[in-house]
Amino acid sequence: MTIYLFIEQIINGLIIGSTYALIGSGIALIYGTMRVLNLAHGEFYMLGGYFVFYLAVTMGLAPWIAIPTAVFGAFLLGMAIQRTTIHFLFGREGWMFSTIAATLGLSIFLQNAALLLFGEQFQTVPYYVSGVVELGQVRIPAQRILIFAVSMATIGVMTYVLKYTRLGWAIRATSQDRDAAAVVGIPAERIYMITFGIAAALGAIAAAMLAPIYSINPWSGLPILLKGFVVVILGGLGSFPGAIAGGLILGVVEAVGVQVTSSEWRDVISFGLMIAVIWWRPWGLFGQKPS
Amino acid sequence: MPEAPMLQVENLDVFYGSYQVLWDVSLDVTNGEVVAVLGPNGSGKSTVLKAIMGLVPIRAGRVIFEGSDLTRVPTHEMVAHGISMVLERRRLFTNMTVRENILLGAYHKSVASQTKDRLEWVESLFPILAERRDQIAGKMSGGEQQMVAIARSLMSKPRLLLMDEPYLGLAPKIVDQIVQIIRKINGEGIAVLFNEQNVKLSFGVSNQGYLLEGGRMVLSGTGDEMMNSDVVRRVYLGV
Amino acid sequence: MFQPLTPFKWLGILGAIIVMLLLPMVTQDTYLLHVLILAMVFGIFASAWNFVTGFAGLKTFGHHAFFALGAYGSALIGINLGLSAWLTIWLGGLIAALAGLFIGLPILRIRSMPHVAIVTLGFAEIVRITLSNLTDITRGELGLWGIPVFDGFTVPGLGEVVFSPADKVPYYYLAFALLLLSVGVITALMRSKTGLSLIAMRDGEDAAESLGINLTRQKLQVFVVSSFLVGVAGAFYAHYITILTPAAVAGVDLMILIIAMVLVGGLGTLSGPLVGALVLTILVEFLRDLDTFRMLVYGAIIILSVMFLPKGLVTLGRRWKRPPDAAATEAE
Repeated sequence: MTIYLFIEQIINGLIIGSTYALIGSGIALIYGTMRVLNLAHGEFYMLGGYFVFYLAVTMGLAPWIAIPTAVFGAFLLGMAIQRTTIHFLFGREGWMFSTIAATLGLSIFLQNAALLLFGEQFQTVPYYVSGVVELGQVRIPAQRILIFAVSMATIGVMTYVLKYTRLGWAIRATSQDRDAAAVVGIPAERIYMITFGIAAALGAIAAAMLAPIYSINPWSGLPILLKGFVVVILGGLGSFPGAIAGGLILGVVEAVGVQVTSSEWRDVISFGLMIAVIWWRPWGLFGQKPS
Repeated sequence: MPEAPMLQVENLDVFYGSYQVLWDVSLDVTNGEVVAVLGPNGSGKSTVLKAIMGLVPIRAGRVIFEGSDLTRVPTHEMVAHGISMVLERRRLFTNMTVRENILLGAYHKSVASQTKDRLEWVESLFPILAERRDQIAGKMSGGEQQMVAIARSLMSKPRLLLMDEPYLGLAPKIVDQIVQIIRKINGEGIAVLFNEQNVKLSFGVSNQGYLLEGGRMVLSGTGDEMMNSDVVRRVYLGV
Repeated sequence: MFQPLTPFKWLGILGAIIVMLLLPMVTQDTYLLHVLILAMVFGIFASAWNFVTGFAGLKTFGHHAFFALGAYGSALIGINLGLSAWLTIWLGGLIAALAGLFIGLPILRIRSMPHVAIVTLGFAEIVRITLSNLTDITRGELGLWGIPVFDGFTVPGLGEVVFSPADKVPYYYLAFALLLLSVGVITALMRSKTGLSLIAMRDGEDAAESLGINLTRQKLQVFVVSSFLVGVAGAFYAHYITILTPAAVAGVDLMILIIAMVLVGGLGTLSGPLVGALVLTILVEFLRDLDTFRMLVYGAIIILSVMFLPKGLVTLGRRWKRPPDAAATEAE
């Protein structure tokens, strides 16, 4: 293997890693705000993919209309799911377990609902942009550059929202202390609903960007959920910046690992990495043990 | 005819699950007054304030503030009605800066438009917080944190401030400062309802008090009346 | 829950055992017995999962890994070394128990429930992918076949006992024996000092710790015993069904099935997992014609049972007798 091919693989790892970061940051956002581990998060990705497929391929809308519409659809779906399930479990006796179990049930429910609604054939979406970008001897398809650009821009916008907007402050305050937030006038219930919506939207953006290179199918949620879990374990569960770093690291580790072994061992590598991190640094590479 | 009290708490019953913690608790706060709810550990004095604020559900009874019934008003709407609260042990947003914490006190839409004026007012009350504005709240000392918590609760310019154990875990010197601050707040025309375990501390600042024992209101009166009461002696000294 | 049983309850348990023992004498219907055998295998799995999750408070979501390790371990030893299934099912259990020890150690270092859920789920995926990738040994998703059945034997006075697909009765009794053994082990452990400290843990981890109870050792013990029992159940399944695929025994769908059973029956109760296993296994059979809806229904069952039946079916009677508790609040 030439050095250029190796560099290409690393860059590809970063590109795929940027979408892992989107998935992981959605999981981290929900966990950070509500302490709910959302096992249905992969289904937001899967359904987001179908939304894009139906809007962009079946209805033939331009990607720049189809993708935002699909993302908004996922946002509404995320809010609806929170309001109809998690909302009623949250704060009840044993809610930490019951929410995990309920989201697992939701995951399998949505997966099979998708199977019934959309069928079992694998779908794909044409490339949004064509062409190849060449940097010396390193060649990267423009589509992949776009994936990276959109993922990073989304993360940038989210970071800005969390840091500087009224909504972001409310999310951060609620995640740190729900009662204190309520006392200053922040409606925690609504913040939880919106947080779920945002996380679902982040999943849908990842799905929209990966749709042209990976297939859309009813089973695509679970593998991506597990990737997201690896990301949040690497970055520290509940940490938004940690999830971004975790996503990029995972992407690169996988790319290198696949070079060393073969692609069918990709997931074993990432889960192995996760278990090693749990052993070595249970609160993530950057996180601290919560007091 | 005397003016109706600004806050009337009538016959509260409060449960945690199936476990009753308050029985038929009533109290009044008159405009501009400082009122103490006194009681030993586990008497339910924190629960009284939390129930008023809507942080714990009220099974029976009413909370009337300035003539309107706030019994079922959710916590996050209370600031809009003119009631604010300093929670027990400060409860700051510890990862955020002092300034961010204070600004969040004016989050509610009803007060958000006056954020700038309120910030000036609050920082004039606590000049040190303007100096420390960029410090991470969680890294401050207990006394400083209590100041941030009070500043945050004042951002909505409440007419009534609830303070849950404002002296808890603070050094005696700091406690004196907090007493001064409560006087200062009261001087701005804000009524204060706080709870405290220590009899002397309670009446250092308040003019009216209630004694809670085992979830029931057993006595009320002025500071002097309470200090010399046999009931207070019995509850605290077991005499 | 682990107080001495009342005579009435003893009678109930004895009655259930007698009914189960006599059933094959009333009917030898292959299909009915097959459904009951599966219900018993799932009953062992569900009881063992409930043992860690409901009693020891370790919320794992990857126990299907141990089922698969027991199944493949026993089957592969049987195929490659020619050992009898009577021996290999215990070896399968041991393999699962070793894996339980391996994964139990890191997750016990942290008490955080979501970490435990994630790591166990990830571990099970490692097992599934590995079984699927090692095609030279396991034949991957094509399926491992040629798994030896249990050797027959002669019982004096009863005649020869043969394990064959045509006659389910020997399997039925073997599954029942394994079920009794598993429930017996779990009950015995719960009544021992380990069990007492587990209950203390569940009621307040910090309180238990302040009493000087070493939580980690007990939890690890429970985790390993539970992995062993699930492994044995998997091994029995392998020699009963005689064909294995990674998707069937190591896929997350199996775990979901078990979770649904325990939640429906009642998490943290002794009889709940068994009731749930019986009810849902029979329900699956009703849904056979609607195969595409099967997992949809399971998903819905899990959601609905955590929302509307948080303590499971077996506590319904108790709840009707007592006035329901007021909604739990965030008491401090």
